[in-house]
Amino acid sequence: MAGSPGTAVLVAGLRKNYGPVTALAGVDLAVAEGEMFALLGPNGAGKTTLFSILSTLRSPSAGTASVFGHDVVKARTAVRRLIGIVFQDPAVDQRLSTRDNLELMARFYGVASGEARKRAESLLQSLHLEEAADRPARTLSGGQRRRLELARSLVADPKVLFLDEATLGLDVDARRGFWAEVRALARRGLTVFFTTHYMEEADVADRIALIDKGRIVTLDTPRALKNELGGGVIRLATEDDEQAQAWLASNNYTPERNEDGLMLVSKDAASLLPVLLRDMPVKVLQVEVHEPSLEDVFLRRTGRSLGDGAAAGPHLFRRIGLA
Amino acid sequence: MSAYLAILSLDIRRQWADRTRLIASFVQPLLYLFVLGSGLGASTTMGGASYLQFIFPGVVGLSLLFTASFSAIAIVFDRQVGFLKAVLVAPVSRTTIALGKITSGALQALVPGLLLLVFTPLVGLSFSVSSLAAFLLAMVLSAATFSALGVAVAARFTSVTVFPVVSNALLMPMFFLSGAMYPLDRAPVWLRGIAHLDPAAYAVDLMRAALSGHALFPVPLSIAVLVLFIAAMSVLSVRVFQKGEDD
Repeated sequence: MAGSPGTAVLVAGLRKNYGPVTALAGVDLAVAEGEMFALLGPNGAGKTTLFSILSTLRSPSAGTASVFGHDVVKARTAVRRLIGIVFQDPAVDQRLSTRDNLELMARFYGVASGEARKRAESLLQSLHLEEAADRPARTLSGGQRRRLELARSLVADPKVLFLDEATLGLDVDARRGFWAEVRALARRGLTVFFTTHYMEEADVADRIALIDKGRIVTLDTPRALKNELGGGVIRLATEDDEQAQAWLASNNYTPERNEDGLMLVSKDAASLLPVLLRDMPVKVLQVEVHEPSLEDVFLRRTGRSLGDGAAAGPHLFRRIGLA
Repeated sequence: MSAYLAILSLDIRRQWADRTRLIASFVQPLLYLFVLGSGLGASTTMGGASYLQFIFPGVVGLSLLFTASFSAIAIVFDRQVGFLKAVLVAPVSRTTIALGKITSGALQALVPGLLLLVFTPLVGLSFSVSSLAAFLLAMVLSAATFSALGVAVAARFTSVTVFPVVSNALLMPMFFLSGAMYPLDRAPVWLRGIAHLDPAAYAVDLMRAALSGHALFPVPLSIAVLVLFIAAMSVLSVRVFQKGEDD
């Protein structure tokens, strides 16, 4: 599999085992230059492993990966010159000031000291960190810390930015601020490849790969992924999901059972719901109707939910407890 | 080269930001010198004052050994908190990182080591220009030896909780065998034999030779042993950084 000229990241048949545990079970994907590409999946799906291979920190067990044509194993230095990465955990020194962290890291990347000072200053400005510039990193707020990580990843002017769960633990406002900065970078042509388990974060991507148990489950634009579910989604929790499923099936519906209960996709979910509640021979405990979300796509594809981090999409109706 | 210097300035800035550690690393050798030294000195045949003079290079060696090892353990701390990953994803050769870390560990160890020189008048030691120069060179070589050992061995670990184990299994035996606190030439043969395998024994002996002119090992031999040891440990240190996060 050869990359076309506009390919920023190319992954082919990538596998990674830790002893008997398989973290990546054969991953294929290509991220185009200038694209904002999301990898969405629950904790433990293999996202961080994939990123640690792409960022040259680990070696794959099988398969290949390259960044702008440079193999992540054979041409590590070339890859390192092209990438910037924000890890889940902080990777700046907590005792040094924001400015010192950026300046010293720029010099570590080979930027001359006068130039490093300028680079640090311009990053402080563009990421709104001037107020925190001379304070030790440990005194920064959660949002400032993550913006400092972003600034650190940008000191050497990378062509691809990797963000691994970059907003983990941030409140909604800080997350929004962080993504506004990232989108601004993407608009200027930077390729952004990010992992998340918040589906509303993945929604801003040009394309999304859903990953589960070390495999890409599906890969497409957010719109195409949701369109495959049709008009609306009904989710039911009943006293006896098995009986409910059998009844629905015998009435020509196509319910799917998963760990959360039953899921039913319909062109006109809103008018179907009252019929179900009236006719179904099983007591309904809880019901929810909404537009298809990435969470539904994931649930339908894997039978599992994205986990705690996954917020529900825009509801047509609020969740109604009927018990 | 600029990445090498960047590692040094990064680590020195970080050491300065953590001055309490510097003070702490200074207390232990003083305890050995003045408390243990005065106590033991009172009952040695060397006489109190000359015993303190005898152990002074040993105590400097102790300070260098522990501070250098501690800065290697700081690499493990960096790995635990995530800072090391930022270093490892940079386009810098692993050899440069390893040599930078060895150098910065040696420099960090030299700071409390040099401060100990302030106490030489209290011990009754005086330097000529040439003996001071020789002593400083011996200190630099010793600091590099212990730092290279620290990076090659201690920096492999993934958790700082192993430090007491490293300390008890490696550093204390190295210190006890080095002849820092007693003259090796009067020690039992078996002990003197094992001391020949201890790089700290050559380091202490070299510093002692610079101060007093008396050496157990020939000076060229000590220098050769330390230089070879530093080279071997440097090779092993590069591997620590080559493996990245893979075990």
